[in-house]
Amino acid sequence: MGKTVKVLLAGEGGQGVQSVAQIIAEAANEEGREALYIPNFGVEQRGGVSVAYLQIGDEPIGAPKFLTGDIVIALSDRAVHRTRQYVGPQTLFVYDSSIENIEDALPANAKKILAIPALDVAKKELHPRVFNIIIMGAVVKATEVVSEADAKKAIEKKLGYKFEKNPKLRELNYKAIERGMELVARAM
Amino acid sequence: MADKPIEGEKRVFMTGNEVVAWAALAAKAEIMYGYPITPQNEIMHYWTRMAPKFGREFLQTEDELSAGFTTAGGVLAGRKAFTATAGPGNTLMQEPMSMAEAMRLPVVVVVQQRGGPSTATVIYSQQEVTMTTMGGNGEGLRVVYSTATHQELFDYTIKAFNTAWKYRFPTFVLGDGYQAKMRESLTIYDPEARGVTLLPAEAYLGKPGTPGVDRPPAQYRNTYNVEEELYEVLQGYFKDYEKMAPEIAEFDAFDTEDADLVVISHGVVSRAAKGAVKELRAAGYKVGYFRPITLRPLPVKELRALGGRTKQFLVAESANGQLARLLKEAAYGCPVEMLPMYKPGVGITTEEVVARVKEIAG
Repeated sequence: MGKTVKVLLAGEGGQGVQSVAQIIAEAANEEGREALYIPNFGVEQRGGVSVAYLQIGDEPIGAPKFLTGDIVIALSDRAVHRTRQYVGPQTLFVYDSSIENIEDALPANAKKILAIPALDVAKKELHPRVFNIIIMGAVVKATEVVSEADAKKAIEKKLGYKFEKNPKLRELNYKAIERGMELVARAM
Repeated sequence: MADKPIEGEKRVFMTGNEVVAWAALAAKAEIMYGYPITPQNEIMHYWTRMAPKFGREFLQTEDELSAGFTTAGGVLAGRKAFTATAGPGNTLMQEPMSMAEAMRLPVVVVVQQRGGPSTATVIYSQQEVTMTTMGGNGEGLRVVYSTATHQELFDYTIKAFNTAWKYRFPTFVLGDGYQAKMRESLTIYDPEARGVTLLPAEAYLGKPGTPGVDRPPAQYRNTYNVEEELYEVLQGYFKDYEKMAPEIAEFDAFDTEDADLVVISHGVVSRAAKGAVKELRAAGYKVGYFRPITLRPLPVKELRALGGRTKQFLVAESANGQLARLLKEAAYGCPVEMLPMYKPGVGITTEEVVARVKEIAG
């Protein structure tokens, strides 16, 4: 039995970190594992950095939030600044390589830092709308908390009604998962 | 119309607010009265979405004063009624809950605590403990369950209706913004299929027979002309409450027998405390875990026994000593030293509890 994996996702509102965390949590639950997902929320509807806390394990999950993540993913400049505090010597820190002039702000104490071109791939190769699904693929690969097949099943469950109308969307989303996984695999 | 909201048992993955709505349906609650406030809004949302399918009802009122009084009215009319609120809404709710104490009305209130004082944050706290246990102008004649997991949120919401209708004191399920918004797995079930008897509601007024001849007259009052009359009525209430207290007080504990220090917490913070105590035990620290599930009444007997044999209590809570105040009263005269770990309006993690215990141990 592995220990509980703690994942922190942060980005701008609209980048989809909450939906990614929720879909992965649901996929883990479907696999019969223990999962807990909690969003940060406040009075603002827009404008803040959106943070999602996700934990997956085989034992019931303890406190809903944590001080140090095993994997911390920051998708914007502000998100990098906001999430540095969650990084420790065992943390894998992942950020989007399109964030400019961020080198000095990157956490110095991380176990490993990965820059992945998720935004670029979304814009140039696939579609900006599947950016969050690419990120989901990256999280799935980096954490190995759920299998690729179950991640796809979870997307099917969430967006299946849209795929029925337009099967090409399914293809696009599956491709996005796969590309996200590849980006992490290559960077590792 | 669908018959039962839940057939048999089902493992689900949802937010705590959704859990409460399902539990109220499963407990055969007939009507919810409410006024929106974060972070409990989705209890209303899910209830209003699901309730009509099962012949249940909802009334949105103009504020929480009204939501509390209409809930009391629903109960007087013999309906299983409940409401849900948070923060400043809970403050307004204290006036009708005080009347519910005076008239012994089994209203059920779910509270999802947020930061205070005043509007503060819509996020999370454990700062509604004093208000929920002792609020209103009165004597705290109420029951408060503090839940820690979604499973408990389901179990104790169902239990709250039974406790309320059995003992006729207002009953609260005390959650918080984290429990409201987080998602985790639990098993929802039909309580009757598990052998849980759901007590039926009954109308307070219009019972058959001649008052004073066939049955005692129904006098439900919150006003008295004479001091002595109020005093006499309250003595009866206190007697009922004292008799009930040991029957319903609940707690959870482990590793306390040989512990030098026991971490005491309630609600969602006890998840961090539990993880910390397990970790510290594995590292050789003589620590224990104690968690009151009922904050009102507290498990006084067990707390006093623990306070008599343990050197130190570490009280961890997301408030500035609201749980500690209750514990101090319960353990008055016990030799135990009470150490604070207060983080008002902020969550407490496992790592922080571990660090604090190590710091105390030196």
